[in-house]
Amino acid sequence: MAINAIEVAVPERHLQERTWRSALWLFVRQNPLGALGGVLMVLLVVAAIFADVLSTHNPVRTSAHVLVPPGSEFWLGTDNLGRDLWSRVVHGSRISLLVGIASTLVGAGVGGLIGLVSGYLGGKVDLIAQRLMDIMQALPILVLALVMAAALGPSLVNTIIAISVVIVPRAARLIRSSVLAIREFVYIESARAIGVSHQRVAFRHILPNTIGPFIVLVTAQLGGAILGEAALSYLGLGVPEPYPSWGRMLSIAAAEYAQKAPWLVIFPGLAISLAVFGTNLLGDALRDKLDPRLRGSS
Amino acid sequence: MKIYIFKRLIIAGVTLLGMSMLIFVLMRLAPGNITDIIFESAGYVDEADRHRLEAELGIDKPVAVQYMVWLGNFVRGDLGKSYRYELPAWEVIKPRLPVTLELAVLALGFSVLLGVPTGVMSATRRGHPVDYVLRVFSLAGLSMPSFWLGMIVILLLVRSLGWIPSMTYVSPFENLGANLFQFLLPALAVGYRSSALIMRITRSAMLEVLREDYIRTAWAKGQRETQVVWRHAFKNASLPVITLIGIEFAFLIGGLIVTETVFNLPGVARYLVDAIQGRDYPIVQNLAMLIAVVVVTANLIVDLLYTWLDPRIKYGQA
Amino acid sequence: MIRFRPLWPLAAVMALIAVPLLPLAATSQAPKPGGVLVTSPLSATPSLSPHEESTIATVQQASPCFNNLVYYDPTKKQESVDTIIPELAEKWSWQDGHRNLVFLLRRDVKWHDGKPFTSADVKYTFDMVRAAPDAKGRLKVNPRKLWYENIEAIEAPDPYTVVFRLKKPQPALLPMLASGYSPVYPAHVPLAEFKNKCIGTGPFKLKENKPGEYVEYVKNPDYFVKGRPYLDGIKFVIIRDRSTQIAAVQSGQLDVAGSGWNRTNAEDAKKGAPKLVVMEADSNVNDNVLINFKKAPFSDRRVRRAIDLALDRKGYLVGPRQGAATFGGALLPKPAGVWGLPTAEVAKLPGMGDPTKQKAEARKLLAEAGFGPSNPLKFTLSTRALSIYVDTASWMVDQLQQVGIEATLEQIETGVWHPKMTRLEYQVALNLTGVGIDDPDAQLFENYRCGSQRNFSGYCSEEIDRLMVEQSQTLDRAKRLALVNEIDRKLQADGARPILGWGKQHWVAWPHVKGWALHENSIYNVSRRQDVWLDK
Repeated sequence: MAINAIEVAVPERHLQERTWRSALWLFVRQNPLGALGGVLMVLLVVAAIFADVLSTHNPVRTSAHVLVPPGSEFWLGTDNLGRDLWSRVVHGSRISLLVGIASTLVGAGVGGLIGLVSGYLGGKVDLIAQRLMDIMQALPILVLALVMAAALGPSLVNTIIAISVVIVPRAARLIRSSVLAIREFVYIESARAIGVSHQRVAFRHILPNTIGPFIVLVTAQLGGAILGEAALSYLGLGVPEPYPSWGRMLSIAAAEYAQKAPWLVIFPGLAISLAVFGTNLLGDALRDKLDPRLRGSS
Repeated sequence: MKIYIFKRLIIAGVTLLGMSMLIFVLMRLAPGNITDIIFESAGYVDEADRHRLEAELGIDKPVAVQYMVWLGNFVRGDLGKSYRYELPAWEVIKPRLPVTLELAVLALGFSVLLGVPTGVMSATRRGHPVDYVLRVFSLAGLSMPSFWLGMIVILLLVRSLGWIPSMTYVSPFENLGANLFQFLLPALAVGYRSSALIMRITRSAMLEVLREDYIRTAWAKGQRETQVVWRHAFKNASLPVITLIGIEFAFLIGGLIVTETVFNLPGVARYLVDAIQGRDYPIVQNLAMLIAVVVVTANLIVDLLYTWLDPRIKYGQA
Repeated sequence: MIRFRPLWPLAAVMALIAVPLLPLAATSQAPKPGGVLVTSPLSATPSLSPHEESTIATVQQASPCFNNLVYYDPTKKQESVDTIIPELAEKWSWQDGHRNLVFLLRRDVKWHDGKPFTSADVKYTFDMVRAAPDAKGRLKVNPRKLWYENIEAIEAPDPYTVVFRLKKPQPALLPMLASGYSPVYPAHVPLAEFKNKCIGTGPFKLKENKPGEYVEYVKNPDYFVKGRPYLDGIKFVIIRDRSTQIAAVQSGQLDVAGSGWNRTNAEDAKKGAPKLVVMEADSNVNDNVLINFKKAPFSDRRVRRAIDLALDRKGYLVGPRQGAATFGGALLPKPAGVWGLPTAEVAKLPGMGDPTKQKAEARKLLAEAGFGPSNPLKFTLSTRALSIYVDTASWMVDQLQQVGIEATLEQIETGVWHPKMTRLEYQVALNLTGVGIDDPDAQLFENYRCGSQRNFSGYCSEEIDRLMVEQSQTLDRAKRLALVNEIDRKLQADGARPILGWGKQHWVAWPHVKGWALHENSIYNVSRRQDVWLDK
């Protein structure tokens, strides 16, 4: 779906010389912020994939070098148990990326479909779907996460479920509101009038038109999901120790040793912020590119 | 219109009922109950004493029976007693409400005041340096965890000034200035994030509307910029913005839990976590319902605003 | 030998002539009355009823309201039977070979609601905690019933005399009665009221209790100790976040803080506000490893010993404990403790030696028990979801990994921690135990006796049980110490409940806070705070 959209988005006069390099260059020139976001995302992915190569120490190995400031041996310093912060930050990218992508895909996919169907069909289906969404939305994420953590114990899967539950109603509502607006457009009415089936109208005409908001939503939620994982882990409900998670790193050591060892607060927080910043920048740029209705307006 | 509102109210009621069941069942799925908690602080468990306590509190009955008892009392306006404090639930919840409400309203107000104008400005000056600066600023807000921001703010304050906002709650009726001072930083820390979300959605919605034919027509007719932007464009772009504000209000509650902890504010958000961990069913149940009522009301208002803002949506179908 | 205790001077006199050991109390200035002290307790208290709780948070926030029959002298750093001072009891004596303990009560004591205090209140309280069949009150939860099971009857022959009749001699009864967990309750106030309110005889009266937010006391003007308390009031503000606590004391919002802090926390606070005074003392709170005796392969002594050996105590000292801890067996080691193993023996306990050699030995033991690289020992290491537990447990996972044990950390929600431990629903766990009083009776019976509700590891040895009873009835202190050491040695050899070490307590206070006493062999018996004053 996304690949097709990129092809649509590339202006026709570039067709002959349409190589990866030139397309990329065009993107960078037109969208320096998006490119920066792309770089940050690539860094995040690289860190996650090559964490074992990039880290200088075993991220869970404790040592007698506790609360050592950043230096040549420990690039970002060490925590209160003498673990190397750089290695922990690098490894932490895995958790953030995994939880972020998994929960966003699950949440936005399920929610988007509900929004599409309920917005297009309207009537009883819409009514029931919207009440369901109301209930889901009325359930504060942390209440759910806390209860789930209590019932099943804090774990990776539960964190993903808890976060995607938050995304579902958001995606559903946003897509539904776009569908509601688009549904009334003349071209949809004409399509229905000439006898095009519901499915075809929904998927061929309405779905592509909801892509813009959907992409904004997905990227915003990807960042949001990474933040959500951080918040849950900060409260001790996310991924269990000793495996490094950025939010968890902020909660245990950072809170207590913030003044003596500010690096414990700064670096994991910075890692979260940069990762989310990257997804957001890239998302914005992609949105401008991908939304067919915005073509030509830049 | 009246019938429509009536219908919506009934639906809201059904929503709340579903919500209450969900919370009720989820809470009882979690291992351990209040008797475990009581014994937890005693550091041992005596099974015989524990069963006696369970019977005393009525939590040895089947979940369905407990639910009906709770519902019956709730409908009659009896919120029950906090297990932990042995005080009426409402008495425990009441003093904490204004704290969270004040924080949420301040944060939301701040985020709308900051988010909407910057979003509109960014859309109308698309590609202009102003657009870039505003977008980076707002994206930064969206990217930083609010609890981290809170930690950094406290760290900076205490390191540079040796001062932090009061750690005990000051009521606005006691000392309005001190109260606002106390709420300023947490509200900013929470609101910054929401403002970024609002700015983004405003910008994206505005961009869509600005390329619509009727706006081009308005421009062509030579109407003044402010009029085109605010009267024509923004009114139509505000649909997703309002949706988001509605959603954000509910979501703020989640963000507040951590912020209330960092700034030591005695609000309901933080208290809810305590109550869940303390298996204080009446408190969890009533607080969750309270939050649900706020959210359902917010959604109801959003839906009503939809019909007002976009006449193309008909009552019957929404 | 303590056969008869001579008359004791009044608490007030004691406080004046005692030589204070803490730097804070070391000034010779005359105490100034007035002022309200603000501090932060460990956490919110579930109630103001010490008899129904086992957390220091309750002791901290309820002690100013109450009095005991006898109490530990706050100015004596090390608690022992020799530092017990009178409170509601003016005099006491052991009679009939430590079978009867007689208290003569003060006649000038009133409850905060104005009713007079009499021997009926004492009988009511301790009949209730020992769950006597004819007790007038019944505690919903009774964590220290065990302490008083040797009492046969409590008699109140007149309004100002109380006699505790014992089944067997038990010198430890007096120290137990001196604990912060043994206040006297009013017979005329329903128990349920102590959930949120407090009627005591103590130096402070409850002004306001906002559960989870703060507990505030004002001076009791009718307090029976003349001239006490010095303070006009004392306020306990609940601040959950440790870094926020540090910031609050630095900014002057708290006068004193440090419950649950480690050395780095205190240093941090001082770094930001150099005028702060740091106090460090032992605490008699230990980190212990629970190894489930009821589950294979932990019933194998070699496996238990391998786990014990793998945990390098020096690493524990620098990491989880930030350089401040002491080591020993089942009882707090000397010099802070009274009943611990001799220092030379402590140095030979598992985990104390060269880490490389010990880890090699652990691997060998595991191999003997049938575990090796192809068949590693795997288990879940459970701990409570609080940072002070999780830090240490994370460290343990790494230590165990170094001998080839694959441990997965499981964080148990704090509210269901003790229930899970009581039901032995775990394999290996990291636990913290605070010892109420530094006395073998209080600690050994609870944690090591067959079938005790707080014997979380399921350890059971008939021989140990017999020795425990024997030491309890031994009146000669040196003989008793020898017996206790013998028990301790056996417990360590069995790997009954490996102790990682004892953490220290670290407090910071502004210089104007005077008389904020700490005890080095218990944190539970020093929270009355009637002698604290502000030099402002």
